Amino acid sequence: MARTSLSDLLIVDADVHVHESPGALAPYCDGPWDVALRNVADVPERYLDIPGFSPGGDGTLTARFPTAHEATRMVHTPEQMVAELREIHVDLAVLFPDHLLKLPVLPQADYAAALARAYNAWLVDQWTSRHDALLGAIVACSQDPIDAAAEIERYADEPSIVAVYLPCAGLDPLWGHRMYDPIFDAAQNARLPVLLHAVTVTSPVFPFNNHGFDTEFARHSTSHTFSIISNLISMVSTGVVVRFPELRIGVTEAGISWMPFVCNRLDKEYLERRREVPFLKERPSTYLKRVYVATQPIEEPERLRDLVTLMELYDGEDTTIFASDWPHHDFDHPMKLNQVPFSEEQRRKVFGENALALFGIDRDGRRV
Amino acid sequence: MGRVEELPPGTHKVVVADGREIGVFNVGGRFYGLPNRCPHQGGPLCAGRRVTGTVVADGSTGWRPEWSLEDEVIACPWHGLEYHVPSGQCLAYPEIVLRRYPVEVRDGEVVVSLSRTSSRRPPAASDR
Repeated sequence: MARTSLSDLLIVDADVHVHESPGALAPYCDGPWDVALRNVADVPERYLDIPGFSPGGDGTLTARFPTAHEATRMVHTPEQMVAELREIHVDLAVLFPDHLLKLPVLPQADYAAALARAYNAWLVDQWTSRHDALLGAIVACSQDPIDAAAEIERYADEPSIVAVYLPCAGLDPLWGHRMYDPIFDAAQNARLPVLLHAVTVTSPVFPFNNHGFDTEFARHSTSHTFSIISNLISMVSTGVVVRFPELRIGVTEAGISWMPFVCNRLDKEYLERRREVPFLKERPSTYLKRVYVATQPIEEPERLRDLVTLMELYDGEDTTIFASDWPHHDFDHPMKLNQVPFSEEQRRKVFGENALALFGIDRDGRRV
Repeated sequence: MGRVEELPPGTHKVVVADGREIGVFNVGGRFYGLPNRCPHQGGPLCAGRRVTGTVVADGSTGWRPEWSLEDEVIACPWHGLEYHVPSGQCLAYPEIVLRRYPVEVRDGEVVVSLSRTSSRRPPAASDR
């Protein structure tokens, strides 16, 4: 049977980034923080690196050689986004921020919460309400879980908001901590999934000692993946996955190949240490296998058949979801995933149908 | 396998019957028999020194750990996999239930039968 072409598949993209600048958020931001945003509105930005807004780009520490791969691709308008996503055959996309990927590193809780509120209002007003193909994930401010829960309640019935984004970069403590319970409670009540998203931030506390790496090769390969692994292990080991049984959880930007490892490793530990996690009633992998895993950055083994095997190793046919990460430097065109020798049923599920279940939407993007 | 006085409440011992090693337990005056072989990696699961309680948690405990099933839990000395002695239920894996050998006292003698008994589920924390 001929492989379904990309244009004939329903493709739901679980991770796409809008570009929010300090100046754009300022009109949506409570005082006095709006003043601070206007104050950095004209600061030249490097990739995810604006002082007082998205601080501490790892690239600021290392030598900068000229390159054609400058990682400065940005999407500034809904029209640009829809046109570019059409080019890569995406039908529905869930929007995440650029700079606010680093929200957890901001030390001022009130400022971080104000930024989250401003971004959420801006996202709906300027993006998700402007085009049916654009759906949103509101950001949850880890520094102020009560305020984050109130935000989730505020957008619970917003038709274009289909997820709650849990930022992971520099997060401390990890997402399993009980201080975040109000967020999970609110998301569960709102029937919104939570999506964890990491980005390269290296600091001594997070989550391993990768601040010693002197290449982006090392930092990037570990930061995203370790962050997701650590946060998921945190959420299993503190019982988030059993205390919020209706909560749908997704993770992005870590690829998929770590998932079989974590399933097997936790199951092995559980065997000996069940008493430490007595709320778990089954193997930890039972709960992990309910987590939706976005494909980007999809591994590209020489034998693409290995990706099918990897997915099957975590029973991921119903939980693996396509993501492009457009427009970031390491985005995946869906053509790569479409080269993987999935069954046609697996292909339909991974490219779109699983995401419909995660986000609770129909094929037109309407919440159901 | 011996006189009932030799197996007071709270104790257990491993006996060999028909070539099989069986752990015989006196839990508060009731007797239970379990195979002395852990399905995990074949460890001598009844050879541990003490039958204890264990830590449980669920919605009824506010997800906080509580000590429960006192004197009803044996842990395999090899890797610590825990079993509820009266039911044979593995506490970590719901699908694992040990074979149970009926034990009764006849004229002061503890008698192990090599037939199988029906299952009894362990109490959940919410049942208490």
